[in-house]
Amino acid sequence: MRTQKWSAVGVLLIVALVFGACVAPQPGMQPAAPQAEAPAPAPAVGGVQIPEPVDGKFNVAFVYVGPIGDGGWTYAHNEGRLYLEEALGDVVHTAYLESVPEGADAERVIRNLARAGFDAIFTTSFGFMDPTATVAEEFPDVYFVHISGFKRNDTNFANLFGAMESMKYLVGMIAGARAQADGGNRIGYIAPFPIPEVIRHLNATAMGMRQTCPDCLMDVRWIFTWFDPDKERQAAESLFDAGADVVITGADTPGPVQVAGERGKWGVGYDSRNACDVDPEHCLTVPYWEWGPEYTRLVQSMLDGTFVGADIYFDVDSGSLGLLGFMEGQTPLPGVPAEVIPSVEELLAKMLSGEINRFTIFTGPIRDNKGNEIVPAGVTLTQSDLEGLQGIPGREDCTICMNWLAEGIVPDAEIPQ
Amino acid sequence: MTTSPYAVEMRGITKRFPGVLANDRVDFQVRKGEIHALLGENGAGKSTLMNILSGLYRPDEGEIAIHGQVVEFHSPRDAIRHGVGMVHQHFMLTPSQSVAENVFLGAREIGFVLNPQRMAAEVRRIAEQYRLPVDPNAKIWQLSVGEQQRVEIIKILYRGAEILILDEPTAVLTPQEAENLFVTLRSMAADNKTIIFISHKLEEVLSIADRITVLRSGRVAATLPAQGVTKTELANLMVGRQVLFQLEKPPVQRGEVRLRLDKVCALDDKQLPALCEVSLTVHSGEIVGVAGVAGNGQRELAEAICGLRPLTAGAIEVAGERMTRPTARRMIDAGVAYVPEDRNATGSAPNLSVAENLILKSYRRAEMGAGPFLDLSAMERIAASLVKSFNILTPSIKTPVRKLSGGNLQKVLLAREISSQPKVLIAASPTRGLDIGATESVRSLLLQERSQGAAILLISEDLDEIFAISDRIVVLYEGRIMGEFETADADLTEVGLLMAGGRTPSESFATQDKG
Amino acid sequence: MTSQTTTLTQQRRIGLRIERRLEQPLWLRVLTPFILIAAALLIGALLLSLVGANPWVVYNKMASIAFGSAHGWSDTTIKATPLILAGLGVSIAFRMRLWNIGAEGQLFIGAWVATGFALFWLPRDTPQAIMLLVMAIGGFVGGALWAFVPGVLKAKLNINEIITSLMLTYVAILWNNYWIYGPWSDRGFGLTPQFPRNAWLPRFTDYSGDFPFLRGITAHAGIFLALAVAILLWFVWKRTKWGYEVKVIGDNPRAGQYAGMYLARKIMAVMLLSGGLAGLAGMAEVSGVVHRLQERFSPGYGFTAIIVAWLAKLNPLAIVLVAYLFGGLLVGSDAIQPAGIAKMLQGVVLFVVVGGELLLQYRIKVGRSASS
Repeated sequence: MRTQKWSAVGVLLIVALVFGACVAPQPGMQPAAPQAEAPAPAPAVGGVQIPEPVDGKFNVAFVYVGPIGDGGWTYAHNEGRLYLEEALGDVVHTAYLESVPEGADAERVIRNLARAGFDAIFTTSFGFMDPTATVAEEFPDVYFVHISGFKRNDTNFANLFGAMESMKYLVGMIAGARAQADGGNRIGYIAPFPIPEVIRHLNATAMGMRQTCPDCLMDVRWIFTWFDPDKERQAAESLFDAGADVVITGADTPGPVQVAGERGKWGVGYDSRNACDVDPEHCLTVPYWEWGPEYTRLVQSMLDGTFVGADIYFDVDSGSLGLLGFMEGQTPLPGVPAEVIPSVEELLAKMLSGEINRFTIFTGPIRDNKGNEIVPAGVTLTQSDLEGLQGIPGREDCTICMNWLAEGIVPDAEIPQ
Repeated sequence: MTTSPYAVEMRGITKRFPGVLANDRVDFQVRKGEIHALLGENGAGKSTLMNILSGLYRPDEGEIAIHGQVVEFHSPRDAIRHGVGMVHQHFMLTPSQSVAENVFLGAREIGFVLNPQRMAAEVRRIAEQYRLPVDPNAKIWQLSVGEQQRVEIIKILYRGAEILILDEPTAVLTPQEAENLFVTLRSMAADNKTIIFISHKLEEVLSIADRITVLRSGRVAATLPAQGVTKTELANLMVGRQVLFQLEKPPVQRGEVRLRLDKVCALDDKQLPALCEVSLTVHSGEIVGVAGVAGNGQRELAEAICGLRPLTAGAIEVAGERMTRPTARRMIDAGVAYVPEDRNATGSAPNLSVAENLILKSYRRAEMGAGPFLDLSAMERIAASLVKSFNILTPSIKTPVRKLSGGNLQKVLLAREISSQPKVLIAASPTRGLDIGATESVRSLLLQERSQGAAILLISEDLDEIFAISDRIVVLYEGRIMGEFETADADLTEVGLLMAGGRTPSESFATQDKG
Repeated sequence: MTSQTTTLTQQRRIGLRIERRLEQPLWLRVLTPFILIAAALLIGALLLSLVGANPWVVYNKMASIAFGSAHGWSDTTIKATPLILAGLGVSIAFRMRLWNIGAEGQLFIGAWVATGFALFWLPRDTPQAIMLLVMAIGGFVGGALWAFVPGVLKAKLNINEIITSLMLTYVAILWNNYWIYGPWSDRGFGLTPQFPRNAWLPRFTDYSGDFPFLRGITAHAGIFLALAVAILLWFVWKRTKWGYEVKVIGDNPRAGQYAGMYLARKIMAVMLLSGGLAGLAGMAEVSGVVHRLQERFSPGYGFTAIIVAWLAKLNPLAIVLVAYLFGGLLVGSDAIQPAGIAKMLQGVVLFVVVGGELLLQYRIKVGRSASS
């Protein structure tokens, strides 16, 4: 009997450990980065915040998939939230919920925010799309904006995303130049998921790379996660082991840049402008999201009553995309080869002025990594092509869907099924 | 330092357990160099008192003096430091290690590196001094129970025990082994060691002890010299009333053969042969006693008959039905009832209630509920009537059986098995650990069943019991039947010799090798 | 004869001793859950004040989110439903001292089978009743078979079910991942397409057309299933021979054998049922809440269920109660930001409640110990 009792206790301990591991898969427990200090969101309870609307203000809630201290995707959104507060001042009150799991929990969280009286809710992960759509139908008086998806309802529910591929093209140019300057010809790319968004960025990077380094090849590692510091580091290690001179990450943490520093090689971060802070010596640049202006514009349109539940897709000219070292008031990081700086600056200027955009990049002739012609000369991909849309109500289907890998990516690379 | 004539003085010892007053102001004195028997029924408080003396428990009230010096023990280690050591009923030895290693295990001064020669020599010295023959290099698992007991004694002697407490040391021994133990104890007493001997067997207490303290219900009933006391006087002191030693046993009336074992073989838990070609028959209306030292195949025999252990050869016939692959359920359905030796480990579900334990064998029957359903009111009705007719002392039929005393638990088992009106009843050590009163009632229940025509196989290590109630005796040694007697013709010495394998005791110890 | 006091050669020191209680007094057993919950909240409050929060405000908010409104009850019910079903599942095995800790895996497999029927193996226009019935049976059978593997290994070869059931959980999760990223994936994302409406368990909110007050009450019919199973199990334990056998074997398997029960058969049956209920929990979750199969659709329900069952002392009706408390804890902690604090609070409650139960079996005594 005694031994049975103890084995029972053993079982419970195991369970508690396993459970502990399960409830907290996100290593988001560390305190937020110091820059993220919010101007005391009311009603704040010391270090703990309870998101609640404030009477007499326009209340905006943000639902994040990761912790605001991730130094990447969620961090950038949180910066956008702070920008919004700054820009609209006393008119708005903002609150956020971080590390919200995608799926059923998200729907509950979003619904509760709507029910609590928030006027607008921004949900910032692909997995929040269906829950947002569902709740948007239930609360026609609340505005919903979903980031990185493709659903909308023409009234109170819009989706928002931007042409990061334009910036990725420039990243490719810089990385290619760097490899060439180092006498190498290998670039590595950490790809989170085999979805159109990631493939689009990957292809744009490869095409940019070929501009400055025609014989460079790009290696890819699919890691099937947006946020996993360990996996991201491992993928970077593996790419450097395979001979890469520069590793570009499409995932959310600055881990790969750190690895680059440890190897004495070069890294390119993603998402937020401080992704290079971990090792500016070995970081070439970061294409980053500047959500603030777009958020401000959208909230202003809600205040003005001009908001439309549309597909909103901004390009570089919106001011909501950045490339570290090349924006106004910035200087290129030391690792960027001098010879490539003028051409990048020139292209960027054209993008900022709207002279060229994502469609310019995705204009034929474009070949895939096996040498087949994908986009004939003179043909430009459509927005649906870029987003790989098929069977989405209210959107046209893609014809040259984003399910190919561009020339420059190693020929034996495949899109995982 | 002092000249107190007493090795041990316990004064006004009181120990309470939840709901029980185990020791009530007990005064207990043991003289230096004497063999002092502590006698009492189960639950009289003997073990509690000795556990206090050996540092396992602490008394709620009272004090202890060793050689005149007041002490306070917080652990058995404290006690052994003052020269008090106890040999428990259940040995605390590591089977896979040698005798010498076990002796030195946990001893403080040996340091990290062991010196096997020195250890063996030390063990040999103690063994010779006190006539405790044992091979220091043998592994514990190779030893007989008697030899293991000697290792325990050597162990506490090595640690410097001057006062030895032995908790029912003869319960596991053959009569010959017990006699050897007594020789050892006398030689230790002669060497000025003090020995406290816990027992509830009157004969051996009278034959070995110098003085006797009788406990009853947690209090001292008497302390008296062994000289000039009779068994009956002691028994009356223990029980507090007159005890009958002779059970009324009508002459045997054998009916048809109810149980027949035909060259049955079976393995033990280690998959080694435990029963070899055992053949025996039991008739309706008779009790057949199986005598033998523990560990010679008794358990396997009982389990084979009850379908709990597969036969590797042979067949068992119950009331004419022949089975070579019996299962427990087939045997129950055929009318075999079994009172197992280990009441807690096999015979009952300790945390289940008296009522639930009482229906353990009968719950499948229709009167306990139709089809898959269990009729709680039927269960309670049956349980209540059994509790009444078998005089089971329990606060309620909902009390978990682990709270019952050994005797009452045994009554629960007997009530359950007998109430099924079995054709064959297997009773394994049915009175082990029971006090005189309970033993008496169990034995008379068995005789009553015999009169009702049941065929009873009584497996017991207690020869007195076998001689007292069985009609025939078979002797089991190393899984074989060594001989068969009508009880009336049997001779205690002869049976004892067969139990030891038919050889003289000294021979059997010298050559015993169970590997 | 004269008693002598201890000589000065003996030093004494004061020390704390930890003793096992021989018997838990009744008051302690009754009060245990309350003491534990109070202790957990107290420690949680301490941590909250350490990070500068007012614990009273936080607790109040959590309670009002989880239980303060019809919507709160609905959300808590959604969380409690899989906890009840899976908790009942593990409680069946635990009653027989079979440590099936793989309920999470069985839940995943149950969800997987249900998804297969909802999206692929049945015609899309199957009537809702038939669709749901097939999904439920499939989910049950899937979970049951997943638990059957450790059951057979235990019954036939005496292989430790703790390890096998836990390991199979990881297999189940990876199996699930393969299908949601591979053959069943919706455009390469880690999820399947949404189920057709006829594969959704009815929700209260579906009837908001007729009863407007049900709007947004997303609790689904799974809760009725869970409650029915709880009552059924309660009856099985109390009033059936099968339940009696499980009880006997759980307390003492040898006694069960001795009474003519078939141990191996019972182990397998119990594991089948245990896993089946966890599978049903998975089916209810995908069909009632998520409406698709996706990665991490269960935030560890199968593991929490073990703790729920344990705290409820394996009593089916108490499992319902404890599951609601845990559901409330999960829902209520949504209110707290940063998320790490909420997770920490959940961890504290679990740890105190599990560890505290053990500690209450001991008592601490201040005593003097002698040493020479």
